[in-house]
Amino acid sequence: MTPIVTVRGLRKRYGRRSVLDGLDIAFGTGVTGLLGPNGAGKTTLLRCLATTLAPDAGELRVLGLDPATASGRLGVRRRLGYLPQDPGFYPHFTAFETLDYVAILKEMTDRRERHREVTRALTEVGLTDRARTKVRKLSGGMRQRLALAQALLGGPDLLVLDEPTVGLDPEQRLRLRALVSRLGESRTVLLSTHQTEDVAALCERVVVMDGGRILFDGTPAGLAAVAAGRVSLGDHRPGPGGLFWRTADGRYRTIGEAPADAVPAEPTVEGGYLLLVGRTEEAA
Amino acid sequence: MSWERITAEVAAPAPPLTERLLRAARVPGHLARLLAATPALSRAWAAAVAVALGFAVAAAHLADHGFLAFLTLAPVLPTAGIALAYGRRIDPAHETYAATPMAGAPLLLVRSTAVLLTALALTALAVPLLPSVAVQSVAVQSVALPSVAWAWLLPALAMTSGCLALATRVPLPVAAVTLGGGWVAVVTAVGAVTDDRALPFRPAAQVLYGCAVALLTLVLYVRRHRLDPAEPR
Repeated sequence: MTPIVTVRGLRKRYGRRSVLDGLDIAFGTGVTGLLGPNGAGKTTLLRCLATTLAPDAGELRVLGLDPATASGRLGVRRRLGYLPQDPGFYPHFTAFETLDYVAILKEMTDRRERHREVTRALTEVGLTDRARTKVRKLSGGMRQRLALAQALLGGPDLLVLDEPTVGLDPEQRLRLRALVSRLGESRTVLLSTHQTEDVAALCERVVVMDGGRILFDGTPAGLAAVAAGRVSLGDHRPGPGGLFWRTADGRYRTIGEAPADAVPAEPTVEGGYLLLVGRTEEAA
Repeated sequence: MSWERITAEVAAPAPPLTERLLRAARVPGHLARLLAATPALSRAWAAAVAVALGFAVAAAHLADHGFLAFLTLAPVLPTAGIALAYGRRIDPAHETYAATPMAGAPLLLVRSTAVLLTALALTALAVPLLPSVAVQSVAVQSVALPSVAWAWLLPALAMTSGCLALATRVPLPVAAVTLGGGWVAVVTAVGAVTDDRALPFRPAAQVLYGCAVALLTLVLYVRRHRLDPAEPR
């Protein structure tokens, strides 16, 4: 793997709370999913990579450039598409104006070229028919797609997507998966999510973070394998101490210590994730 | 013309009046859009500036030295607008824009220009409404009457460049409040300790403001990279 992004000893604190604790990781071409509970440090890491936040310590190389320098930051920003966790909008702008404004900030000064690129991005996310609709009149899912469209402007080499599937309905999520997987064929795509299904379906690599550290770095299949032998199906309600739920066929699926009468079940990414972050008992 | 281009042009909404006026004044289209879309340039902000100027003009009509209130207030207005034009807490889309090549100094300076020109234009419109008697009462000491009526201009430019230069060290709103508060405090203090309340607006002070504009602009140019959102302050 040729690293497009390299992180060494990255540290970030907010007051007394350490959010990134000496992180070391590299990312190459393809789609990588970041999983982790709230406060794990995913957003902070992505913000550092997107050059909107300076780390306290450590080294970053993004697209071969150093974001700690002004020229390095500028170079990164010219090749970056970034969807923040809370993408704000000007409600009085139309969808087209919103993208047009970002396109100008991305140094697209030629009006015709810019408008063509804006139209292309709107088409990519299926919002062409909403081009002249004010942002305040768009639904939450449409706004999320608009936020994704601004990240796609200019065909960036690196896409940093912080929770891109939030607010999307199932069909839109599937369309997003298709789009992101296509982009990931030739680019580096980093996405953080709480949706383990998206990771299983979309990412060739998954990184699980908690407390500013990396708990797992491998394939979705490898993450699922963490749960091998610790996922079971039984006919009786398990006792306290594990995470379980009643499935559609009336059986109990347990993650963690298997009840006496249960049989092993197919491990999943979700099971591996829950076991890694140690939330099975807490969730129960 | 390709179908793709026709679609793009049809989807593009007509630019608002401000943007059309800027384009008519030969401002490049992309710059006109950035200037016209400055967050602080809302109707609410323009109305607030107009009301503040209205009170200052009224004070000039009603009080002996009310004209000085106008001269004191006018330089603060652009600074207040700039504080509302850029920043994480102010701009809902700041995080998105912070990751673009124009983040930091380029965008802040474009927005500051928009705010400054608007505030200066509104203040200039208020000047003819000032009572000539009040202006004369301040102007008696060796200064021609028309120049006193414009004595706020250089302080306004000095405050603006000072605010931006200070913002390379502290957050922009802190810089704006510090300078705005400091300016009002100094003008008030000078009035209290000297016989000449208009001293901060006399020619000697104007020379000082002119030098300050040049110096602070130089500081701003040298330290412009520190305005980047990823620079710790």
